[in-house]
Order: sequence, then structure tokens, then C-alpha cells
Amino acid sequence: MTKDVLVIGGGIAGMQASLDLGDMGIKVHLVEKLPSIGGKMAQLDKTFPTNDCAI
Amino acid sequence: MLDVGRHPNIELLAYSEVENVEGEAGDFKVTVRRKTRYVEEDKCTGCGACAEKCPTVVPDAFNEGLGDRRAIYSYFAQGIPSTHTIDPDHCRQLNGKKCGICAKTCQAEAINFDKEDRIVELNVGAIIVAAGYDVFDPGRIPEYRYNEIPNVVTAIEFERLLSASGPTGGHMDRPSDRAVVAEIEALEKKVRKSQKALDKLEEKFNEPSAAFYKKFQAGQYQDDEDRQKWADKYAAHLAVIEPLEELKKKAAGFTVAKRLAFIQCVGSRDFRFYPFCSGYCCMHSIKEAMIAHEHEPETTSSIFGMDIRAVGKGFEEYKIRGGNNSNITYVRGRVAEITEGPNNNPIVTYEDTRERKVKSQEFDMVVLATACAPIKGIAALAKTVGVELDKYNFIKTSSLSPVDTTTPGIFVCGCAESPMDVPESVAQASSAAERAAEIAFQPELEKEKAVA
Ligand SMILES: Cc1cc2nc3c(=O)[nH]c(=O)nc-3n(C[C@H](O)[C@H](O)[C@H](O)COP(=O)(O)OP(=O)(O)OC[C@H]3O[C@@H](n4cnc5c(N)ncnc54)[C@H](O)[C@@H]3O)c2cc1C
Ligand code: SF4
Repeated sequence: MTKDVLVIGGGIAGMQASLDLGDMGIKVHLVEKLPSIGGKMAQLDKTFPTNDCAI
Repeated sequence: MLDVGRHPNIELLAYSEVENVEGEAGDFKVTVRRKTRYVEEDKCTGCGACAEKCPTVVPDAFNEGLGDRRAIYSYFAQGIPSTHTIDPDHCRQLNGKKCGICAKTCQAEAINFDKEDRIVELNVGAIIVAAGYDVFDPGRIPEYRYNEIPNVVTAIEFERLLSASGPTGGHMDRPSDRAVVAEIEALEKKVRKSQKALDKLEEKFNEPSAAFYKKFQAGQYQDDEDRQKWADKYAAHLAVIEPLEELKKKAAGFTVAKRLAFIQCVGSRDFRFYPFCSGYCCMHSIKEAMIAHEHEPETTSSIFGMDIRAVGKGFEEYKIRGGNNSNITYVRGRVAEITEGPNNNPIVTYEDTRERKVKSQEFDMVVLATACAPIKGIAALAKTVGVELDKYNFIKTSSLSPVDTTTPGIFVCGCAESPMDVPESVAQASSAAERAAEIAFQPELEKEKAVA
């Protein structure tokens, strides 16, 4: 039986870690303090170095 | 973000906090507090009808206080989950006043003022800490006058001003100008109200207020109580109209900010605060100057820094492109002071280290490239989870195992570990996921070993 993983923080780092684990078939519990995930990156208009939209 | 919300293997516990961790690698018992939103998550459709009707206006943290939200809100429009949340510090009903308008409005009957926090117990093999960073508070640098000069803003505030879904719809409206516009709106509301009252009196006495007031001032109607009240109301009305007209005249001259200054290393590479380089701020200043120029081609930007650190794939080219195509001037020098000149224009005083001269220059708006600071709650979180911090209060790691904390089975990624940009955060996140997976798969591997 595979063990679950806890991820604390739902910014870009926590989201990426959760997706990677989830895709490996591991059950993830993602705990985010704020009402929605996204972290600082969700507040950015666009991101360097490509100037793609942040969300 | 959407993928995370939809993933069958990811259980999203938003608006929650870890309260306790016990055990060891392979077998941690975790207690999570799911804070009540006072909204039933399975019923809320995220339609937002409640927030439209809620009478309580609160500064919007997602927009860095540059806009407003209501006491019932979704953190941001595309937020996952889209469930609304009642802010218990500001909600009237939850603070003993009569309200409950949201509950009356909600067709899904999702509002529940009695809903309490829930405690969830989890059993996990590994933990990843990805709690991120805080923006350094530039108010700690008194010579930059962030708290005194409205047109001195932080880079994250500037991101919100650049955003089409932000408080200015992507226009570079200056905070000082926005304050005037808000004042005009408030005064206009007042005038509309007093005009209504005057209309009624004019109808009652069948005379325009202005004509009546002239006679009143000339000494007529001194003993008439009703007319005395009318005169008072009219005087109060005039006292609002005059400053309103003044403000309107002023606002007619407002234009968007076109002369921008970006100040680098605000709190970083500064021995009073953080001696380290935050790594991403040179790049985000270039980005913000580029986007501002895209929005308004007349925009010119000066980026003041000791040196521009463009270390990363495609970064140096990006910097040069900004200089060539987006009217960006890179000024080598450290800013000593920001003062306020005429028209709410910030004035930047700096030493031009190339020319070895102290100079001053006036701008429409100044953007501060603030340091990447550890989050405020980091000490408590580290204690709860059981990991050590480094001398700056980021989570301690070592250079040969950059995602391992001091406790086996607990890993870290992103700015909780140290300042880093998005590509690095993502790379570290994948490494941390891989390290955690090694533990998560352990029971399976052991079973295979036993069979073999
Ligand atoms: C103005 C500005 C512009 C930038 N522009 C760019 C750019 O264009 N390109 C780029 O690559 N980088 C950019 N960056 C850097 C970028 O913001 C970071 O690299 C990235 O956001 C780091 O992600 P993170 O997940 O580590 O942290 P965060 O985004 O801070 O996410 C952390 C999450 O954890 C949550 N959290 C915190 N404490 C707890 C707790 N106790 N329990 C549960 N959850 C918790 C937070 O609420 C948050 O959602 C910019 C930074 C700034 C300041
Ligand atoms: S990235 Fe640039 S602005 Fe940020 S700390 Fe380093 S040198 Fe200073």
C-alpha cells in the first residue's frame, strides 16, 4: 500500500509538487491557509522571461 | 491551478492550517484545522450574488489593498476552490449586528452562520513544506517614505495595477489620483443626497433654494424655524459643492503614470535587513517596465540598481530587449532618498556611480523591488512540523540535499527554502515530490522485496 503525502502551501511550488505526486498515483493532501490556492503567482500579471499570463 | 482542483489524487484542504504533526518518516499523524467559511462548501456554486448584496466593504488583500471586497468574498475571481468565505473579523452578523443579507440572497442556501471549524486527522508518509515567502515591508526603510508618499508603491502592488482584472483594469492610474477620484465619488454621493432633501423643500415652499437663501441672508424669515432648517441644509450643500468643483478641476488634468522609476534591492543586499540577493527582483522590474510600456507606449522607465542580475535562461537577452524596445534606462547607483515634489510626484535622489555625482530626478510613480522575506508564521510552522530554520528564517537545508529539511521524511520547495523565481520553484517542487515519493512507495517496495 502506498503512503499519502501532505503538502503545506498551495503556491506554484506546492501545486507543482502535488501534481507530480498525484500523477505518480500517490494520494496528496494539499493544505492552503488562504481561501484559494495560487499563492503569489496568481497575483502576478505576467511572468518573466516569457511574459506569459500567470494564471 | 485548475488541474490541481480537478486531480483525482489531490485532496484540496484550502482555508486550513496544520495544527500538529507527530511520528516519523513513513508514518506521520497530522492534525489539520479546516477553518469555517460559514458557507457550506458542497452547496456554494460560487455565483457571487451574496457578495454583490453584502453591505460591508473591506480592503482587498489579493489586490494589495488597492481595491475593495465585501465581508463575504471569493479570494479572487478565478480562485480554486471558488467557494465563498465570510470574513469573521468584518461580517456584521458574526459581530452581533443585524444583517444576514447574504443568507437571504443565496439561492443555494449555502450560508450557515453556525458552521464551526472541523478537525481532520491524516496519516501520511512524507511532508512537503511549500509555504512560500512574504514581501519585505518597505516601511522599514524610512528614507523611501513608502508609508507617506502615495505614488511610491511595491512591485507586487504594481503587478495588480498592471493586471486587466486588477483594481484599475490595467491602467497606470496613480494612487494619489485614485484617492482624489474616490473623494469626488464620495462627495457626489453626499451632494445627491442633500439635493434630494432640498428638492423636497423647494417643492414645499415653491421657491428655488438659491433665491430663498439670498432673502434669508438679507434678514428675512429669521423667526421661521422650518426655513431656518432649509437655510442650514442649503449652506451645508454649498460647503460640499465648492470643494467638489475644485477636486473635479484637479482631476481633469490627471493622466496615467508615464515616467516610472524602479528601485532595486529594497531590503535585499542591505546589511540592515537581508544581506542576500533575492534573485528575482531585477527581472520583475524589467518585466513590469516592459508591460507598462506595452500598455502605454510613451512610458519611460529608469531602473536604479547596483547592477542588474539577469542570471537564468534567456534572462540577459530579456534585459537587453527591454532596453532596446521598451524605453528602459538602467541607472547604476543606489537610491539614497525619495521625497515628494509638486503634483504628488516622487523625487528620487541617488548617486550615479558612473558619473560619481549625486542627482535628483522627478517621476510620476516609483516602484520598490522589495526583498523576498520569510513568512511571518514561519517560526510557528517550523515548530509544529518539527524542522529547523536557517539564520534568515528560511527552512534549513544543505547544498548537497537542497530539498531535505533537518528532519527525515520532511521536504521543502520554493521560496520557503530560499528566494527563487518560478522556474526554480517548479524544479525544486519536482525534486521534493520525487524525494517524498521514495518514502510513499516504500511499503510497496518492501512488499516486492519480500516476495522476491
Ligand atoms: C512583484 C513580484 C513579481 C514576480 N514576478 C515573477 C515573474 O515574472 N517570474 C518568476 O519566475 N517569478 C516572479 N516572482 C517570484 C515568484 O513570486 C516566486 O518565485 C513564486 O511565487 C514562489 O512560489 P512559492 O510557491 O514558493 O511561494 P508562494 O507563492 O508564496 O506560495 C506559498 C503558499 O503557501 C501558503 N501558506 C503560507 N503559510 C502557510 C501555512 N502555514 N499553511 C498553509 N499554507 C500556507 C500561502 O498562502 C501561499 O498560497 C515575482 C515576485 C514578486 C514579488
Ligand atoms: S535580484 Fe536584483 S534587485 Fe533583487 S536583490 Fe538581487 S540585485 Fe537586488
